[in-house]
Amino acid sequence: MSGVTEGAIFTDRPRTGADKRAGLLSRMWKQRADYLYVLPALIVMMVVIAYPIYYTIDLSLFRTPASLQLRDKIFIGLDNYTTILSSASFWKVTWQTLIWTFFSTLFAFLLGLGAALALHREFVGRGLLRALLLIPWVVSAVAASYVWKWLYHSDFGAIGAMMVQLGLADQPINFVDNINTALPSLIVVNIWKEFSFAMIMLMAGLQTVPEQLLRAAKVDGANAWQRFWHVTFPHLAGVSTVTILLLMVANFNSFIIPWIMTGGGPAGSTDIWITQIYQLAFGRQRWGVAAAYSVLLFLIMMTLGYFYVRALTQGDKERAGA
Amino acid sequence: MSNKEGRIARHRSPTRRQFTALALAVATTASLMSTTAYAQSVDLSQWSPEYIRSIAGTETYDTAATCGAVVPNDYEGRVSYWYTGAFEADPLIAHEQDAAFWEAFKEAYPNIQTDVQSITYNELLDKFRTSLLGNAAPMVVRLQILGGVEFAAKGYLDPLAPEDVGYTSADFWPGALKSVTWDGTGYGIPTNNETMAFIWNAKIFADAGLDPESPPATWDDVVTYSKQIKDQLGISGYGLVAKQNAGNTPFRFMPQLWAYGGGALDEAEENPTYDSVHINNEGSKQALQAAYDMYVRDKSVPTSALTNTQAENQGPFIAGQLAMMIAHPAEYAKMLDLASQATGADKEVADAVVENMRYGLIPEGPARRAVVFGGSNIHVVNPQYVEGEYDEQAAKALICMWTSPEWSTKLAWVGSNPGHLGGFKTEWMKERLDTIKFLDVTTSMLPNGIPFPVLPEAPEIMNIIVPDMLQNALTESMTVDEAAEDAARKIEELRSGM
Repeated sequence: MSGVTEGAIFTDRPRTGADKRAGLLSRMWKQRADYLYVLPALIVMMVVIAYPIYYTIDLSLFRTPASLQLRDKIFIGLDNYTTILSSASFWKVTWQTLIWTFFSTLFAFLLGLGAALALHREFVGRGLLRALLLIPWVVSAVAASYVWKWLYHSDFGAIGAMMVQLGLADQPINFVDNINTALPSLIVVNIWKEFSFAMIMLMAGLQTVPEQLLRAAKVDGANAWQRFWHVTFPHLAGVSTVTILLLMVANFNSFIIPWIMTGGGPAGSTDIWITQIYQLAFGRQRWGVAAAYSVLLFLIMMTLGYFYVRALTQGDKERAGA
Repeated sequence: MSNKEGRIARHRSPTRRQFTALALAVATTASLMSTTAYAQSVDLSQWSPEYIRSIAGTETYDTAATCGAVVPNDYEGRVSYWYTGAFEADPLIAHEQDAAFWEAFKEAYPNIQTDVQSITYNELLDKFRTSLLGNAAPMVVRLQILGGVEFAAKGYLDPLAPEDVGYTSADFWPGALKSVTWDGTGYGIPTNNETMAFIWNAKIFADAGLDPESPPATWDDVVTYSKQIKDQLGISGYGLVAKQNAGNTPFRFMPQLWAYGGGALDEAEENPTYDSVHINNEGSKQALQAAYDMYVRDKSVPTSALTNTQAENQGPFIAGQLAMMIAHPAEYAKMLDLASQATGADKEVADAVVENMRYGLIPEGPARRAVVFGGSNIHVVNPQYVEGEYDEQAAKALICMWTSPEWSTKLAWVGSNPGHLGGFKTEWMKERLDTIKFLDVTTSMLPNGIPFPVLPEAPEIMNIIVPDMLQNALTESMTVDEAAEDAARKIEELRSGM
């Protein structure tokens, strides 16, 4: 690296594209051992990530009628994308995906933050409470979905029965068999399942908040809210960004809870992108349309991934700068 | 067999008189189904509860020897097999018979290794499709009657006829063989064929002011009875099932649709061509309206119908909270199992429900009485899509055993009927008739059976488009008319290759 830079200085002329290319190759050659170390991982990634991505993009350009084998697919260019983007169901499912992702992420994060702050203090039984709050995250999503399905059951669910017994309702509440309440009901389950993850991440983040700063702020007369807002929260900014991005990625990709609890119903009211893709591919064998959907989802995931990597490397750059 | 005593019919079936009265109509319909080039191994034109009883136990079979003539019993090889075996919703006897088959196969073919996966009904099609894409399919697969043609049309299955494993086509129901025929070639052998019946709780009927010994005669009566039960007792009348992407839904809704004169295509007609869409005709709309009336207007069916499969209706039924539903022959055995597991006050309720359980014919509609001609078929997969080395002889040995009169009877013990018509003549059929209450009722529905369309698109039509139509209407996302028209548009798009 230094040799090229010095050469550019000594020659005292603007660097051309050829210089840059030569510089890049030279640097790569010098760092060849590093590339060799990561080569096995790169090969594995090529096989298990790059090829499926290529294949999915390729498949998205074909029509795959239910009566034909996949190898007999018909090339139709970008028609699948046009079909998806012009269909009313796509926009309905997209809207539902956004609602699902936004509210799941928001409330899982807020609940996780609250739990992390509460558990950051020393009190009797803190360890036990922390373990209890971790249960939703540890429990298998499949098992949790079945349990919640029965808790919500519209005729014989425990929640509905309890509300009737307490006099809060005349009859069991219709949680998942109603197009207006099904999605919010599933979001509640998702928040319950995810908030522990946010809690763990933020508890780790809280360990980095300097205690002396908090004490100094207290000595200066800052109240609890001011100490949180001006001292604690800024130190949590990095981990919060990462946590929110990870939650968003997980929620965009959610499948188990909506699929097991409602299968996307009733009348498609809990269909989100992933359930729609699954249904198109494995239920209806519209591999081409499902692939096009997947490519669109991939682009969104890549965008989120970019911000995630940037958030992760932000700290490294700051440390390097310091 | 622990519940054997419980299965012994303790009463003369109260609906037996009706069956006798129906015998003529049944025989006429049966004769339509027996129009075939083959002389059937049983006389389908005489099909009636009495005829079934008269032939049961008249012949004996030595399955190992019969199959040994097709594939020598000392043959060494390996076979992989996927099917839907016994699961939690099945009674204990189904689990026992399943285990007994594998023991018998091991005994008959000690040198054939088996690699077997039992996959749930709703998952098998998806998993099989995926395995085919990755050339990781099993050698032999047993699929629901709806599934085979889709794969045959795409070249995923190899031709397979009863003659390939030592039987004749005359040994099987013509309608069942038709369900595995694509482009004039057979791609499978029926393992079991069933039709469902109608069950009701006589005590609930009596408490609601209905005749406890008479099921609703028509589908309009079902709507009326269901409302009366809900109004009088506050419990659900009819066990509607309308879950999306679940096979239970078309098996329970299509009989109603056909009865009113509807259909997905023209599958209910005498000579279907599958060229015209019937899902939006007047009959289909009337059936959809009836479902709407029960769910939305009268609220006389479970609210959870939109997320329920049949398994979720079993609990309310045994608890006396659901009055009537379409059911398999196995439902009675399942209720006995559930009652035997109940304790305390629950047991009293469950025992009372079992005592008051009645089976009858599925109601008729303005056009006909109808039921899905259901069942399963066994297929051999095209070797190029099979994981590992293909072993044709081992596959044949397994298929011969599975489709034999003995095992097609035993493996269908409470849930179905033997695919091999010779099964009706076996001692095991006699034992079934003697020990399984109401078996003659469900068997009597066979001539009313209508097969799903024999098309590669049938699974999507039945498992997705029909349930979607129901959900759109029942959630009032669309009107009944709109839901039917929407379904018709989807079927037309599907048939046009979109």
